[in-house]
Amino acid sequence: MSASTPTTTFDERVLAALPEAPAFVAAIRGRAFEAFRTLPLPSQQTEEWRYTDVSGFVFDQVPAGAESSSAPEVLDGVAADLGERAGLRLQYGRATIERRLDPALEARGVLLLDLDRAAAEHPELVEPHLHDLVPVERSVFTALHGAFRVGGTFLYVPPDVQVELPIETVTGLGEDRAAVFPHTLLVADRGSEVTLIDRYVSPPLAGALSDAVVELVVGEGAHVRYVSLQEWGSGVTHLAVQRAVVGRDAQLRTLGVALGASLARAEVEVELAGDGSSTELLGVYFGDGQQHIDHRSIQLHRGSRSASDLLYKGALKDAASAIYTGTVIVDHDAHRCDAYQTNRNILLSDRARAMSVPNLEILTNDPTRCGHAASVGPVSEDVLFYLQSRGISREEAERLVVFGFFNEVLDRIDLADIRTSLERAIADELRGGS
Amino acid sequence: MSEPAVLEVRGLRASVEGKEILRGIDLVVRQGEVHAVMGPNGSGKSTLASVIMGRPGYEVTEGAVLFEGEDITGLPPDERARRGLFLALQYPVEVPGVSVVNFLRTAYRSVKGEEVSALAFRKHMKEKMEALGIDDQIVQRYVNQGFSGGEKKKVEVLQLAVLEPKIAVLDETDSGLDIDSLRAVATGIDRLIGPHLGVLLITHYQRILTYIRPTFVHVMMAGRIVKDGGAELAHELEAKGYEGIRRELGLEETVGAPAE
Repeated sequence: MSASTPTTTFDERVLAALPEAPAFVAAIRGRAFEAFRTLPLPSQQTEEWRYTDVSGFVFDQVPAGAESSSAPEVLDGVAADLGERAGLRLQYGRATIERRLDPALEARGVLLLDLDRAAAEHPELVEPHLHDLVPVERSVFTALHGAFRVGGTFLYVPPDVQVELPIETVTGLGEDRAAVFPHTLLVADRGSEVTLIDRYVSPPLAGALSDAVVELVVGEGAHVRYVSLQEWGSGVTHLAVQRAVVGRDAQLRTLGVALGASLARAEVEVELAGDGSSTELLGVYFGDGQQHIDHRSIQLHRGSRSASDLLYKGALKDAASAIYTGTVIVDHDAHRCDAYQTNRNILLSDRARAMSVPNLEILTNDPTRCGHAASVGPVSEDVLFYLQSRGISREEAERLVVFGFFNEVLDRIDLADIRTSLERAIADELRGGS
Repeated sequence: MSEPAVLEVRGLRASVEGKEILRGIDLVVRQGEVHAVMGPNGSGKSTLASVIMGRPGYEVTEGAVLFEGEDITGLPPDERARRGLFLALQYPVEVPGVSVVNFLRTAYRSVKGEEVSALAFRKHMKEKMEALGIDDQIVQRYVNQGFSGGEKKKVEVLQLAVLEPKIAVLDETDSGLDIDSLRAVATGIDRLIGPHLGVLLITHYQRILTYIRPTFVHVMMAGRIVKDGGAELAHELEAKGYEGIRRELGLEETVGAPAE
């Protein structure tokens, strides 16, 4: 950083106090710490951060402690509400509270582990992938993550193993000004199938930081579904980078839900590396109060006959704001690809704002079917009148329209309990707030 | 039945964006009666329908709309619907992501003002669908999304049947329909007509009146009702055309804005 290096709680002393790690992890930490000290805070002058201002961000949080003897109530509620799961991992702060996996799957070689434990016990599976898709040098935030992360989820599914029920990880946080570094590394070997749900929960917290990284490695012919449910309390700054690589004839379906945090940014990138690979990227967000929600997506087609379909929909009320920036890139050598990108926003107040910036970079010459659509607007007065003319109050009519708006996405979610909890969350958002 | 409900339009003048469209309308529709309002394009028929239902964007400058003796001119549309008014739109709008059955159930509960069980509602809706010959799959679809013109109007009539209003305003429900669809929609409406339902049927063709026999016919031109009569007036209109009536009454050719 420049001459005026701001004070930070993330110094050598804190780094040295981290639990011991295998050599390759220690090396990542060292590299990352160097990067953290040299990389600047992202500037709004850059395209990547143009619509989200973190120039004043201060790294004065305290890494979430290992000691979490007090029963974290925030996790109790979640655990009680879960649908049927093949496996579960609960993390509070940086400590693993609970971990269980269907013994039958364990016997077939499926691994659901704390990331640090996985790094120690299965380095051959972790080392090639950890911070491979999301290098620590990517930004000052990924650098901070690489240096100070403790815990996280490692999920490995061996070749041709099909995991029928979803596996879920819940990361909870309960202290003001705490920093947590959720990390998910999923490796689905060739021909395997799995669904992983990542959930982030907390009460309202003053000045907390969630600095998250998700790396998804989808092997040849594998089918992976990944759901991210961001339900942080207000006051949390959530900065997430999620990147996936999808092998030949493999399929990745993701759903990103952003309901919480004061500032929530999710960078969602998929590299369709193999021929015949495909991805579906769904997103739902709902902002209220002063919330700012920033989504960036990249659909990168490298394999031929690869297909991507992105649909992100958001509602904004009060003085909330949202930005969506999406890029479709079709490489020179990627032939006959399909790529679609749609972002729609519904504004529920005069003060709410949303912006949508789609980009297409088609580098190949042969016929590629590509399309994008974006919209931002209030609820149609014609529709409201129509519903009201049937006796439905304006408030109820608006609720119905917003539900309908989200149904286009919800209809594509075939996880019944996720859909139900989303419907409830949307209803809460509509009811609550100012 | 107690006193029949009455919709009364009294000396109504209304403007849209400062332009006067309705220039003094008087009309009384009682439960059990069928009134046809006929008039050429631009005569203000649809504005009349919109103002009766309280659509935003229309300014009532004089006069009032009364329902069951109470002035409802200032009430929001949902309040009017709950009192027993209904408007079938000329151009039913799409409601993406909301199924017809969900829409109808929400509306039914709002109008009936009580907790109706899903089962009881289902039964009620089924009866109406059967009576109107509407098949099951259409109510599972999203409201008006991808509907043909005929389907849209059929679903409007289904709403009318399910919600059981006292007075219904049908704004050019016959427009945009081919002959078969027109017959299906019109006979559907005709079946609903009885002592419990009063209808204000807005149209500019006589065609629909071969299926639905009006008690009264009113001819509207340039924001006024210029002639009243019984069912025979519709035939007279068909024979003479609006131009003939205009000449007969010595009205000016120009339609629309009054001299300023």
